[in-house]
Amino acid sequence: MAATDRRPRRWRVDQQKITGIVLLAIVGVLVLGPLAVLLRASVAPPNTMPLETWAVTFSNFKAIFEHPATPTIIGNTLLYAAGSVGIGVAIATFIAWLTERTDMPGQALIRVMMFAWMAVPPLVIGFGWILLINPGNGALNVLARNLFGVQGALFTIYSFWSLILITALSVVPTAYVMIAGLLRNMDPQMESAARVLGGGRFAVARRITLPLLTPGLFSIGIYMVMAVVQAFDLPLIIGLTAKIPVMSTRVFLLSVPDNGIPNYSLSSAFGVVLLAIAVVLMWLYFRAIRTGEKFRTVTGRGFRPKPAVLGALRWPAFTAAMLYFAIMALPVLMLAWTSLFPFYRLPSLEALPLASLANFHRVLDSALVQRALVNTVLLVVLSASVVMLLSALVAWFSVRGGGLLGRVLDVMSFAPTAVPPVVMVMAILILYIKTPLYGTVWVLIIGHLTIYIAFGTRTMTSALIQIHKELGDAAMISGASWATSLRKVILPLVWPQVANGWLWVAAHSARDLTIPLVLMTTNNVVIASVVYTMWDFPDVPGAAAVSFLLVAALLVVVVPVQLLASRASTRG
Amino acid sequence: MLAVRDLTKTFPARHDNGAVRALRGVSFDIADGDFFALLGPSGCGKTTMLQSIAGLETPDSGEIAMGDTVVYASAGGINIPANRRQLGMVFQSYAIWPHMTVFDNVAFPLAHGERKTGKAEIAERVKRALDLVKLGAFADRLAPHLSGGQQQRVALARALVHEPRLLLLDEPLSNLDAKLRDTMRIELRQLVKSLGITTLFVTHDQVEAMGMSDKLALMRDGVIVQQGTPQDIYLRPESAFAADFMGRSNLVAGRVNGNGAMVDVETPIGTIRCPAAATDLNDGIVVIRPQAVRLHGPGIGGQNCYAGTVEQVSFLGDVVEGEVRVGAGLLKIVVDPYRQVAPGQTVTVELPPERCVLVPPDSGSLP
Repeated sequence: MAATDRRPRRWRVDQQKITGIVLLAIVGVLVLGPLAVLLRASVAPPNTMPLETWAVTFSNFKAIFEHPATPTIIGNTLLYAAGSVGIGVAIATFIAWLTERTDMPGQALIRVMMFAWMAVPPLVIGFGWILLINPGNGALNVLARNLFGVQGALFTIYSFWSLILITALSVVPTAYVMIAGLLRNMDPQMESAARVLGGGRFAVARRITLPLLTPGLFSIGIYMVMAVVQAFDLPLIIGLTAKIPVMSTRVFLLSVPDNGIPNYSLSSAFGVVLLAIAVVLMWLYFRAIRTGEKFRTVTGRGFRPKPAVLGALRWPAFTAAMLYFAIMALPVLMLAWTSLFPFYRLPSLEALPLASLANFHRVLDSALVQRALVNTVLLVVLSASVVMLLSALVAWFSVRGGGLLGRVLDVMSFAPTAVPPVVMVMAILILYIKTPLYGTVWVLIIGHLTIYIAFGTRTMTSALIQIHKELGDAAMISGASWATSLRKVILPLVWPQVANGWLWVAAHSARDLTIPLVLMTTNNVVIASVVYTMWDFPDVPGAAAVSFLLVAALLVVVVPVQLLASRASTRG
Repeated sequence: MLAVRDLTKTFPARHDNGAVRALRGVSFDIADGDFFALLGPSGCGKTTMLQSIAGLETPDSGEIAMGDTVVYASAGGINIPANRRQLGMVFQSYAIWPHMTVFDNVAFPLAHGERKTGKAEIAERVKRALDLVKLGAFADRLAPHLSGGQQQRVALARALVHEPRLLLLDEPLSNLDAKLRDTMRIELRQLVKSLGITTLFVTHDQVEAMGMSDKLALMRDGVIVQQGTPQDIYLRPESAFAADFMGRSNLVAGRVNGNGAMVDVETPIGTIRCPAAATDLNDGIVVIRPQAVRLHGPGIGGQNCYAGTVEQVSFLGDVVEGEVRVGAGLLKIVVDPYRQVAPGQTVTVELPPERCVLVPPDSGSLP
């Protein structure tokens, strides 16, 4: 009996082992490849292809730290991040408090709109604001001139303040989602106890609520700073014209210069510096989380805190929250308006009869846009699907597989979180530029796999932890192979999280500009890079039309899912 | 049917605690058709043992054989994976798959197991399994819509439907309320015995272990301290730990005098005459079950008779528990509720020698 068992047994044991090894190889190439190249390139002599020489020099770092502009760039980056996060988190906290802890009307509406806004690309918002408040013919400036006789420009898009404010507005939705979760999980009994013991409402807010929230808010703040330091789109389209260089745009311009040849070694060195800053922030973030854990207040399950009664302030509060959405909607409406005319016009009633869909016909007929559409669909669908597949497997090995393999996979797939996308994509560029993959949509997919696998793995890990280990064991004992137990038991149980993660990756992959722009050739254009090139060309109405289509497509996918999810969460 | 030889397993040290030697050379056998219980306090290694037999955990060394098939042997590098060991298992959480109906849950081992089975046969065998656990009417119900007791029955049907060669039960009663536990205890044993399936049952509850098993093994700190029938272990414990774990008992320490079949033990209560232990001892512990103590009126003499005073009494209904001060010691006793016992009463306590068990002094700590 033992003899007949031997042959099939070997294959079956290996089913799991082989998958693990293949997974390790894929994630290793995806993550470690670019990082190794980045480090290598940063110590390569200037003006060489980093992979074609063995020379090692630290002149790049020396050049960075000796260059007079470097302190300005780092200072700009930190000021930019701190300013926009400070303002963004303040707005988000206020709205989150209104929707989670008061009796303000329309809370569900605001929650869904927040989620929906996360789908709008910062690129599009940036272009919209440029149309609204550029100093020459920005719509709001012209309006101010006509209505109040203001001389010159009332607002200007090309200033540090505009960059900070617009970024602040665009980080609000993400911050809101995190802060609302924090408020929802806070045990209301802590506040009730203080009230019962005689604390007034103001005293309770100041002495109990705020101190309890501080560690959570702090860690959210650091997370957002990390995101803004890595942000690329807005600094590119607003910051460059305003002559406010930050680190991410610096890395970009060195590797993809408007003229001259790319200086990969210097930009890699810059990338390493940016990476170091990101790693420090990450370390701070984890410290903050751990401090937060110490007095974490997530105990009161099912407890709904008694909402604060706003009374006469209910509707003003609602109006204030909606004001945020009105401001957020302005740039998109401006783009929509612009897309209706063959050349740029100020919004006015007189112009309305001239509106037409000609731009949409024009862009949809263009071969470039058509190619971009096909590429985008390929990029989005494949990136999201492969990310979720890899993530689900990595998460299984790290949660259930145990051992060294699981831990290595877990750490490796999380590492890209610390790597700013613009740095990662530059490393990918250096790594793949001499391969046939460069210039195809496949290299974009590789980029998105690398960047989004960290998110996918987080999602799937927390999903799998919720699944009782015995559910999988029971399938194995019943005689099912490892693959069958995954397919028939585990996957159906984590299906909602897989779908949610897929949607998140798809939405982010569709709106991302960093990867497609750095790796752009005439063949692998996608919608985001087409919008950017049309704008740059300039074909502003065309860019507006494509932007509008992109936003519409994202909203059409994201909003219904959010509505379903919000209904499911209020029911359950 | 099941033979386990010298099984060892050590879990490496984690950041906050040192290495755990969960199994330190465990051996035991289960005869064909037996209901065998693995009993012990939490952390004794019984769960690791069960997981190793199931194939969900890989031991460090030793051998496990089921019938003629060696499923694990460190020497031969044999380790048949869990899905090919032809086992049935009821998990502590029941592990009923919430996204499937009762029928699909039970059909799983047939539909996706080692030997694929035809649709018609699956339907037939699932129906039989569900009828066996009296859930025939629930086939189309979604699993989460079942009560705890029903979920347990589904788990049992699922574990039996493919006629496994060994049934593993991991604390299957611990998630049920007390009343249901009592009925399920009897039902489960009857069902399994009627099918003649060899069963290994893991529990920390000595009442469950004694009430259900033909044989049991008592584990502590990764070793089996005693195995045998429930009566064996309850009435003739070989250690103070076994005595204490199996139920309430008086553990009276003393110095052993004499050698031969019967010895005298000098204890705070007095000199107790009892059968000698398996090995020669200088110091020992006399184990006396509260039920072993005979209570008489004051002033009666005889072998192992001592004068005492009742210190306290709790009337529990089905029994009366009390404590009697004898000499410098305190003895737990149990009497029937119709007997009048009151604190302060003077009594004679008789400890029949054949009911006293001498065991070696305990080396480790008692749970």
